[in-house]
Amino acid sequence: MLTLLRDLRRLRRDLALPRSDRPRSLAIRHVDAGSCNGCEHELTLASGPHYDLQRYGLGIVASPRHADILLVTGTVTTRMREPLLTAYHAMPEPRKVAALGNCALGRNVIGTAANLAGPVSAILPVDLFIPGCPPAPDQIARALLSLIDGSLPAG
Amino acid sequence: MTVTAPVGSAYRDRVAAALAAGWQARSLYAAADGQLVRIALTAADGRSLIETVAADSDGSVPSVADLVPAMAWDEREAHDLHGITFTGHEPMRPLANHSAPLAEWTVPVRGHDPYQVAVGPIHAGVIESGHFRFHVVGDKILHLDARLFYKHRGLERAAEGQPITAALAVVSRACAACTAANGVAYSIAAEQALGLRAAPQLARARALLVELERVWNHLNDIAAVCAGTGMAAGNAWFLALTEQARRLNASLTGHRFLFGSVQVGGSTLTIDAGTVSRCARELAGLRAAAESGWRELEFNASFQDRLGGVGIVAARDCSRLGVVGPAARAAGLAEDARAVSPYPGHDAFRPVTPENAAGDVKDRLGQRMLELRQAFAILEVLLDQGPLLPAEAVVGDAPGPVGFGITESPRGATTCIIERAGDAVRRVRLRTASYANWPAVAHAAAGSLLPDFPLINKSFELCYACADR
Repeated sequence: MLTLLRDLRRLRRDLALPRSDRPRSLAIRHVDAGSCNGCEHELTLASGPHYDLQRYGLGIVASPRHADILLVTGTVTTRMREPLLTAYHAMPEPRKVAALGNCALGRNVIGTAANLAGPVSAILPVDLFIPGCPPAPDQIARALLSLIDGSLPAG
Repeated sequence: MTVTAPVGSAYRDRVAAALAAGWQARSLYAAADGQLVRIALTAADGRSLIETVAADSDGSVPSVADLVPAMAWDEREAHDLHGITFTGHEPMRPLANHSAPLAEWTVPVRGHDPYQVAVGPIHAGVIESGHFRFHVVGDKILHLDARLFYKHRGLERAAEGQPITAALAVVSRACAACTAANGVAYSIAAEQALGLRAAPQLARARALLVELERVWNHLNDIAAVCAGTGMAAGNAWFLALTEQARRLNASLTGHRFLFGSVQVGGSTLTIDAGTVSRCARELAGLRAAAESGWRELEFNASFQDRLGGVGIVAARDCSRLGVVGPAARAAGLAEDARAVSPYPGHDAFRPVTPENAAGDVKDRLGQRMLELRQAFAILEVLLDQGPLLPAEAVVGDAPGPVGFGITESPRGATTCIIERAGDAVRRVRLRTASYANWPAVAHAAAGSLLPDFPLINKSFELCYACADR
């Protein structure tokens, strides 16, 4: 165990990630509304040692009731439309919605129209668009930080 | 591959005879026009066979789910999505149809004080969407009904009518974690139908992609089991290695998940000699770092104590349920699609299984490490052959209306069947290893403790996306 902790400390030293200079934090609730699982895998790594989102006060929380941001992946399927709305309405206000990945943005969507309810913006008011197929962890991190900093990139 | 003419009542007998002769059922689906049902089987030597049955005037065909329970989900899907009635499949519980009331899609559980715990479709972590309904007494799970298909995007239907080369996007984008394996299974099926086959250089490119995919997936899966036990240091270490593996994918193919690297009829993947040798060195470093982390996990008693005897799916149940991949091998079944693969680097491939395989969480975790070592060794052989150049498929057997492809994805054997009309897709059926293994997750959960379910689920680490399609 000591070897593992030593190796992790060495990795962290080698990566030399800058410290956060942001005094605020945001709680994120992720909802997969019909993704290919690519955005999920990249989002998971955004919390890993190479990016460490938590150092900026960005954390994934277990319930929409604890969340400031709803982070939605995938083109919304007809079957995920209701659960997505339920999660959104369970959030306290003020709340923001971020659409993660090209499918969530309605770009280059594959599927049968009868099974798809539309891009996230067709269901919810989207505050932040994060393009990419899938966006890499550092792109996800940078985009989410813009919510803390208050300057939203144009969708 | 052999495709039989449609038969009526003899269908069940023929399937039973093939099973008795050791053939394994791989996929069952409603064909393009909805009037035929086909079942694909493979022999241990790699031969494949498709038996076809014509639906009666009332749209019904005999069920084979009693002969081969592994095809039960396939029949339920064909019923829900294509309107086929399977005579003898009772009760026909909805699989993809979400409009049915609770009582219809759950198994009745009676006794002293059973109650239900409903989880999902939205889960607490960064996890795909799906619904689990646990029937429990206290904290013991009596039965689990999984309801998937929340992410059903109608991908197979979207492929219909598209050119065969273009419809590849439908299966390769079904799932990011299995994109190379799904794409290769599709390409093999398409090339077989078009009368082509992969020559060594093309096969080498594809073997390289599926093994790269296996490396990052297995590293990710080890991290996931660490997360399932609350072993934060192990989780962080193997997540870091997953990141390195994805960066390696990007430097070799231009995409962290290998998107766009598989094509039908050839490969445009070019990797120069310098990149090949640099990546071989990086892989050696990754291998050493994985071994170092693994030793730490092996000698961590409190971690190891959480794994043994949890979520058992024994060999007999694996065979019955049609479990594939690491989950089956962890129970001692030495089956692997690579054993009959013609790919270089897969020559003389022998599946490995753990010693005293019990089919529990411990074995499924250990199996990932055994297979990681194999994948690193295969990649070493493949990269040792020098730069990778574009390659074309060559003329193979006679073309036909139906093609069958199989690959060993990180989660096990994935099959793809293509029915074509000229150069267009009439029907495509992608049956991934995740689809094959979901029933085993429910089986492993029964008798386990509810708080152990996340760990059991992580030890399979199945995709929802490529099961739901």
